[in-house]
Amino acid sequence: MKSKILLGLVSASTALSYSPAIANACAVCWAGDGGPIEEAFNWSVLFLMAAPYAVVGSIAGWLFYTYRRSAVKREKNEALQPRVHLVLNPEESGR
Amino acid sequence: MARSSTARRLDETLPLETKKPSFGGGEPPVPPVRPNVTIGSNAWVAVIVFLGAEAMFFAGLIGAYIVFRVSAPIWPPPFQPRLPIGVTGVNTLILIASAVTMRLAVKAVFVSDRKKLIRLLGLTAILGGIFLAVQGYEWVRLFHFGLTLSSSVYGGLFYTLIGFHGLHVVGALTWLLIVFVLAEKGRFSKERHVGLQTCAMYWTFVVALWPVLYGLVYLL
Repeated sequence: MKSKILLGLVSASTALSYSPAIANACAVCWAGDGGPIEEAFNWSVLFLMAAPYAVVGSIAGWLFYTYRRSAVKREKNEALQPRVHLVLNPEESGR
Repeated sequence: MARSSTARRLDETLPLETKKPSFGGGEPPVPPVRPNVTIGSNAWVAVIVFLGAEAMFFAGLIGAYIVFRVSAPIWPPPFQPRLPIGVTGVNTLILIASAVTMRLAVKAVFVSDRKKLIRLLGLTAILGGIFLAVQGYEWVRLFHFGLTLSSSVYGGLFYTLIGFHGLHVVGALTWLLIVFVLAEKGRFSKERHVGLQTCAMYWTFVVALWPVLYGLVYLL
């Protein structure tokens, strides 16, 4: 008996999932008729999905660019350092 | 040739490097190590994270704008005033010019040119002030023409999006004026300029955001 009730409930919920207008399975299912509201939500969702990638990508790109620039600047500065001339210091050498 | 037991024992006790001498003897060559390069301060990183959060905040507002804009059959709605595209376009150029002067101010501190730094910071503040004044004047005119926060979705979206950007410009301008005063007191130098740099980052963000909002709200 219990299994029949369970089977009935599962069948009913499965059948309802094919009719979103009745089931109200989604907050915006009323817009699922292919109209301008659906298109508007689609564009908005696409934009919001892309936004975090764009933000994080921009930050990562900026950090990478700054790191490369700093490394190049450091190498240039090192190349500009004057050479150390070795000279004999009589006091230190003990001669 | 068989190795003696003493040689084998010695082989086992010696470290690996000693057992495998490189060409010509001595230690094996040390692979080149990439040196640690400091690219910015902690405050710099904090401002980047803050700007990321700000960008997501505006992304949310733009997402809401897209929903109403794309779903509307007629935009702008009837009996609503049209936005001043020309004046705001010129205002956009003024704001972009302020980002250029800010950039030049940061460059001036790197060559320890204090006078130029103060002059450019002042010019940036003036350009930002002009932008805000023109925006305020246009808002008053639109308000008198009947575009209010509650007049329609159009008005609500306009004042929310552009209003939040205006608030950010006010915040950035306040920060800039503090930096200006500090620069006059000689608090920034070639070695110490984090306060100026972070302010410049925030200002650049606020300026870079404006053309996006202008294109979205005024032109589309």
